[in-house]
Amino acid sequence: MNDRRLAVNRLRERLPVDGAALDRFLGRHGAPIIEGERATFLFRGDADEVRVRHRVVGLPDPLPMKRLPETDLWVATTALPAGSRVEYQLETRRGEHYERFNDPLNPRVAHSPMGSSSVCAATGYEVPDWVNHDPEARPGELVEDTLHSKALRREQPVKLYLPARYNPALRYPLLVVHDGTDYLDYAAMKTVLDNLIHRLDVAPLVAAFVPPRDRLREYPNHAPHARFIARELVPTLAQRLPLVDAPEARCLMGSSFGGIASLSTAVRYPGLFGSLFLQSASLVFTDIGTDHGGGPAFDPVVKFVNRYRAKPTRPVERIFMSCGTYEPLITPNRSMVPVFRGAGITVNYVEARDGHNWEDWRDRLREGLSWLFPGPQKFVYE
Amino acid sequence: MRTVLLGPQRFMTTAGTALRSLGVEGPVATINAGWEEREDVVDELDQVIGGEARHLRLHHRMFDVIEKDPAFASAAMTFRDRHDALLSLYRLRLQHALDGVYAVQRRVREAQAAAYGALDDAIEVVRHVDNWYAGQLKTLYAELDAASPIDASGVIGWHRGEIAALLGESAAVVLTGGHVGTLLRALRLFAIEIPDELPVVAWSAGAMALTERVVLFHDFGPQGASEAEVFDRGLGRVKGLVVLPHARRRLRLDDRDRCAVMARRFTDQHCVLLDDGTALELDDAGGLPSGARILGIDGAIHDLSETLR
Repeated sequence: MNDRRLAVNRLRERLPVDGAALDRFLGRHGAPIIEGERATFLFRGDADEVRVRHRVVGLPDPLPMKRLPETDLWVATTALPAGSRVEYQLETRRGEHYERFNDPLNPRVAHSPMGSSSVCAATGYEVPDWVNHDPEARPGELVEDTLHSKALRREQPVKLYLPARYNPALRYPLLVVHDGTDYLDYAAMKTVLDNLIHRLDVAPLVAAFVPPRDRLREYPNHAPHARFIARELVPTLAQRLPLVDAPEARCLMGSSFGGIASLSTAVRYPGLFGSLFLQSASLVFTDIGTDHGGGPAFDPVVKFVNRYRAKPTRPVERIFMSCGTYEPLITPNRSMVPVFRGAGITVNYVEARDGHNWEDWRDRLREGLSWLFPGPQKFVYE
Repeated sequence: MRTVLLGPQRFMTTAGTALRSLGVEGPVATINAGWEEREDVVDELDQVIGGEARHLRLHHRMFDVIEKDPAFASAAMTFRDRHDALLSLYRLRLQHALDGVYAVQRRVREAQAAAYGALDDAIEVVRHVDNWYAGQLKTLYAELDAASPIDASGVIGWHRGEIAALLGESAAVVLTGGHVGTLLRALRLFAIEIPDELPVVAWSAGAMALTERVVLFHDFGPQGASEAEVFDRGLGRVKGLVVLPHARRRLRLDDRDRCAVMARRFTDQHCVLLDDGTALELDDAGGLPSGARILGIDGAIHDLSETLR
C-alpha cells in the first residue's frame, strides 16, 4: 500500500484541523489503524515525547511518535506483516517524568503475571475460536491438590485437570504443565482443553498444573525440581489416578524458563517422558565465551544448554516446539531444532508472528496438543 | 439378506424412510454403542424408528463387564496397550510407505510413463504394511482370548444370553454412527452375529462396522491430512466394500492423486462414499445398487451405473 494513502496521511493533508475533527478521525478508525501491512499507532495528549514500547525484534524499540503539526495527536507508522500480533505500551515524557501505560485508544488488552499490555493485531490475525468458552463443550474439572515434596522441602500445590466424562475405568495420558497457574490464568488452558477435547482434536487427558515458588532458581536445571516432578509428582499421580503407564503417555510442558525446566527434567530422567511441549523455551547458549547477554538469571540456563549442545541426548521421542518470530529467543530456538533432530528426536517446530507472551502460547496450544495427544476424530463418524 | 447403508443422519434423516422401505413389522434392535456414554439418550432414535425399540445397550454392558470381571478388565487393558503400541508402529510404517507412493506418483506423472510399474509396486508395499498390521492384530486378539477366555466369563455369558434373546425377538437391526472403535469392541465382546434374514439399517460408523475391513480416515484434522488406515475387521455382513461416511467433509476429494492412491490401495474393494442423503440398499448378492458413488482408480468419483456401462 502506498504511504500516501494511509488514513493518517490523508488527515495530514487536511491540517490544520480542530479537536472535533480529530475526535471524528479517531472514532472512525480506532487505534492502532491497520492498513494492509502497516500499523499506525496514535496517542492524543500533551507531552514532550511519546514512544511506542514493544519487544519486537526487528523494529526500533522504542518507536518514536511524531506530533502532527498544530494538533495534540501523536503518530507512528510501522510495518506489520499479515498475521502478526504485537503487544505494546505507550510511553510519554514530560520534562524528566516518564510514564508507561496501555494505549487508551485501544480496548484490546492482554494479561500476564507482569501486568497487562495493549494488543495490536495485524490483518489476518484472529483469536482462535477454540480459546473462548463453548457452551456445548462439556467442562472438565479442576481439582486442587497438595503434595508434600521431600525434594523441594515444602508443600507443593498442584491443580489437576480431569477431562469431562472422566471415568476411573479408563486410562488417561498425563501432561505436566510448568507455570501451571499462569497457563490457566493467562492462556485459558482449562477452556482450551475443554474445547479441544470436546471437538475430538485432543485425546481426553489429565493435566497437572504446577506453579513454581522461586522460578528463576527452580526452573533452570535444578535437581530438586526434576526429582520432584519425576520421582514424586508422577508416581503419586499414577497411584491416585488411572494414568497410562507408558512414556509415550507422559509429556512435560512449559514456556520460557518453564521450557528449560521441562527439558532439563527430561534430560535428568531419560525415558520417563515420551514427549515435550516447549513454547519459546529459553534455550540460550553461547558458541564461545560466556557473554550471553541474558543477565545472571540465564547463567545456569546457558551452562545447561551449552552442555546439552556439546553432547545431545535423546531423553524423549518427540518434541513440539513453538516460538514467536518477534522474540529474541527465535534464534536459539531455531538453532536447537537440528540439534534435537540430530539426537534422533522427532521435532515438530512452528513459528508465529508473535512475541514472548501468553496469548502467543495460548494460540499454539491446539497445534501442539493435537500433535502430542491426537484426539479420536478419526474414529468418530456420526 | 436385506441391508441398507445410509449416510450421516445429523443433517438429513433418512433412517426412518429406510426402515419403512424394508417393510419391517415388529420390534427393532438398536446398537448405538458408538455413542458411548450417551448411549441411553435415545429419544430421537426412538422417534426415527417409530415403533418398539430394543436397545441392546452394549456400551453400558461393556462397562458392567469391566466392573464385574477383573480378569477380563485386566486382559482388556493389556490388549489396549498392545494395540496402541501396534497402531503406533503401523502408522509409522504406513506414513513412510505412502510417502514413497506419493513420491513415485509425482515422478511417474512427470515422466508420462509407466515407469517400470513403480507405482503399483509402491502401493503393494502399502498393502503389505496393511496386511502386516491386520496379521499382528489377529495375534493380539488370540492372546487376549487366551488370557481371558470369554466363554469362561459368567458375566459376559449372561449379557450374551440377554442380547441374543433381544435380537431373537427383533424384526430388524439398526446400527447408528459414533465411535467406530468403541462400536467394534462392543460387537466383538458380545459376539454379535446378525442373522442373515434380519434386515439391517446402518449409518456412518454403523455402516463401517458391517464391512470386512474398517478403514479410518480424516483429511481435515488439526494436523492436516492424515493417511487412511486399516483399523480392524468388521462384522463382514457387507463384503467387498470400504465404507467412507462423510466423505465430502472428511476427504480431500478434489485431490485426485491422493484419491487414486486410496482406490488403488483397496483395489479389491469398492471405496463407497456415504454422504448426507445417501441410501444404498444392497442387492441379494450383497452388491451395490446402481447410483452408488465410488472412488475410481483415476481418483475421480464415479457413479456405479456409469462405471458398469
